[in-house]
Amino acid sequence: MLPDLGHAAIVAGLALSVYAVVAFVLAARRRDSALLSSARRAVYASFGLAALAAAAMVVLLLTHDFSVLYVARNNATTTPPFFSVISLWAALEGSILFWTFLLTGWASLVIWRTRGRHSALVPWAGATLASISTFFFAVMTWPGNPFTRVTPVASEGPGPNALLQNHPFMGLHPPLLYLGYTGLAVPFAFGIAALITRRTDEEWLGIVRRWTLVPWIFLTLGITAGAWWSYAVLGWGGYWAWDPVENAALLPWLTATAFIHSSMVAERRGALRIWTSALVIATFCLTLLGTFLTRSGVIASVHSFTQSAIGPWFLAAIAIALTGSLGLLIWRLPGLVGSERPAAPVSRESAFLLNNVLFLGITFAVLFGTLYPLAVEALSGDTVSVGAPWYDRVNAPLFLLLLFLMGVGPALPWGAASWGSVRDRLGVPVITGVAGVVASLALGMRGVAPLATIGFALFVVTILADELVRGARSRARTRGEPAALAAWRLATRNRRRYGGYLVHAGICVMAVAIAISATQGQDATATLRPGQAMQVGGYTLTYQRLVQEPLHDDPRVMETRAEVSVAGRQSGTLATALRNYPSSTTPIATPSVQTSLGEDLYVTLLSFDPASSTVTLHALVNPLVVWIWLGGGVVGVGAVFAIWPDRRRVPVAAAVAVGPVAIMPPIREPMPDSAAPSVQVEKA
Amino acid sequence: MSVRALRWLLVPILVVPLVLLLLHGFGRDPQAIPSRLIGKAVPTFSLVTLDGRTVTSTELRGRPVLVNFWASWCIPACVEEHAVLLDAARRYGSSLQIVGVLYQDTPQGARTFGARYGEPSWPTLLDPDGRLALDFGVTGPPESYLVDGQGIVRFKQFGPLTQAVITDQVGRLLSAAVGGGG
Repeated sequence: MLPDLGHAAIVAGLALSVYAVVAFVLAARRRDSALLSSARRAVYASFGLAALAAAAMVVLLLTHDFSVLYVARNNATTTPPFFSVISLWAALEGSILFWTFLLTGWASLVIWRTRGRHSALVPWAGATLASISTFFFAVMTWPGNPFTRVTPVASEGPGPNALLQNHPFMGLHPPLLYLGYTGLAVPFAFGIAALITRRTDEEWLGIVRRWTLVPWIFLTLGITAGAWWSYAVLGWGGYWAWDPVENAALLPWLTATAFIHSSMVAERRGALRIWTSALVIATFCLTLLGTFLTRSGVIASVHSFTQSAIGPWFLAAIAIALTGSLGLLIWRLPGLVGSERPAAPVSRESAFLLNNVLFLGITFAVLFGTLYPLAVEALSGDTVSVGAPWYDRVNAPLFLLLLFLMGVGPALPWGAASWGSVRDRLGVPVITGVAGVVASLALGMRGVAPLATIGFALFVVTILADELVRGARSRARTRGEPAALAAWRLATRNRRRYGGYLVHAGICVMAVAIAISATQGQDATATLRPGQAMQVGGYTLTYQRLVQEPLHDDPRVMETRAEVSVAGRQSGTLATALRNYPSSTTPIATPSVQTSLGEDLYVTLLSFDPASSTVTLHALVNPLVVWIWLGGGVVGVGAVFAIWPDRRRVPVAAAVAVGPVAIMPPIREPMPDSAAPSVQVEKA
Repeated sequence: MSVRALRWLLVPILVVPLVLLLLHGFGRDPQAIPSRLIGKAVPTFSLVTLDGRTVTSTELRGRPVLVNFWASWCIPACVEEHAVLLDAARRYGSSLQIVGVLYQDTPQGARTFGARYGEPSWPTLLDPDGRLALDFGVTGPPESYLVDGQGIVRFKQFGPLTQAVITDQVGRLLSAAVGGGG
């Protein structure tokens, strides 16, 4: 029987994970390579078992086997196959199964990629990862068994969560986010391993940086996809509401981003080792906290699943992870101090330091806002909520400063900068930024935040372009290459640097799009009878008729649709609907989003009266929203570009012979100001 | 105490408040609106149904009762919920007694509703002066209360019932009855 098979796979996965923890630790202490191999195989096997259990659940969902409680609660015979498959993460137990599948997948991948290398770190990292897997397998064995049976067997179920079935994006947003969340366990594991073995060295930094960047990409794309989903489905016309669960995804992203930056300083200057280790630990603890907040029902949110017995287990896990890693960090502190050197006030190090301070500032603000209602409730019994305006007001200045730093950082050299070189580098970008602000003012834009965003974004993009042009010119001159080829080679041979610049450019695009769409939009609400029209932002929307009919692919879902004709910069017809799902207590909005590069026309059906065919429509004109998603795509491409393995290896001897820059191994990028030929030794 | 030893205080300072805070938030359903009635005896009543019979609270003892406050004007929530209730009545048969209570509505409205969306197989009580709704503390339809066989209110649903909620709550009550009663 499939449910028995699934449950057996979970129990076996638990046993193997426990074995892997013990075997890794013993292998590390005795330096026993045979035991180490055995532990590795246990990790691979636990991944296979998690995959088996997940596959069993998918088959149960596809075959609508209502003898399994999870299926009975999250599926219906009419559920289309695509939504049956993605119901794997529709509710708590399935999510944890999916989570475990991804986590053991990451663990297997890293164990496999590091075979034969990093022999001091891997056993401890493996033990940490196996401990985390043990926890998740244990949760599924006891309180959160996804294969729990139910009798009597129902002949029909309610179908998946209505919000889940309303948009195909649900097939993308949770997996990306989960890939990011689970992947961040890997750098944490190596952080713990480094603290245990007292090896926070170059080798360690290299591994952790790479294994943070990959989940970071998934997390970034997952958050962007979530914002997009929220925009396309929820019908309120926005994409970010500072919902506690959105915050839960943002928090580890903030600390992971801070880590990516501070690791560069750690790598370059040997400084910030403690700080860097602390960020890795904090990131993982924040993913656990995020999971807890999402899955325990502690905080009210559209994302919360109903309360369950899993909560106390997660709380215990958070307490253990936090106590253990913090304790370890404090214990090892004496060995980590000492390599710090003070940075010059105007230097790239300082820019990175300030960057980290700002990221941490935002992290604390968001964490505070998320937990504050809970604290107030605990202390005084009052119910309060922290709204979007508070987050916007606190975080907007910090984000603006970060944006500014994004330009200044790359323009400053390592070590100490002279004022002359700073002036030389920042002159044109400052002029571009100011010109952008003046132009926007002339075009009628008002408001400090959007204007500052435009100014800073132009400033940053100019600096990034200038960096590329300078480097390409220098290379073209010394190598005699055509400009375009020189630029491409420069970029592909300095993937981290130029990939990072592309990420920054994407962030600039997103920042401008967010600032403008959040402040320059227009909206109107009107109650209309058929034939009546409303105006919004230069569009005329004429309400034609109301249609009520069941959905084609799921007849149990009733759709009420208002058909509207549009005249304006975009024209044609649109339909905006409310859908009644059998599993949902409230109708689910299906807003109509007409996208163009300049603006989106967003129309939501708020309410209707079937008797008189009267409808109330909310229409918004949101400028530049599509650029948020495009910018997110650029960020993803830039990050992938940065970590793309370099197949072409420069023979070290040859590189050393060319110029003095290559002699210092920690420096892997050309000095920006140097006119000397750029030589890079980039390890694959 | 040396400075180095003081560092260790950082662990409890950070961990303990966080854990206490999260611990406090436990077990709360974020959507739940507390009802004073949970764990208390169901309010007593004797009311006339839509088809003229009289139903009293005492005669409902012995099996789980789902008291559902609704109105024909409560659209679409009550329409949606009605389908769920019809399904639950079919599924649970005589092991669950459903009782509808008309909330600020006319008998005529209720009859039209039944004709249009499916005649209920359970009695609909008329509560003309809203006395029972007041006793239960109803804020607005639809709202439902699940009462166990001993007449104790076990669960309150604010807003329409869904199949998942019914499966969960009624299932729990029925299995408890089987387990407890032997």
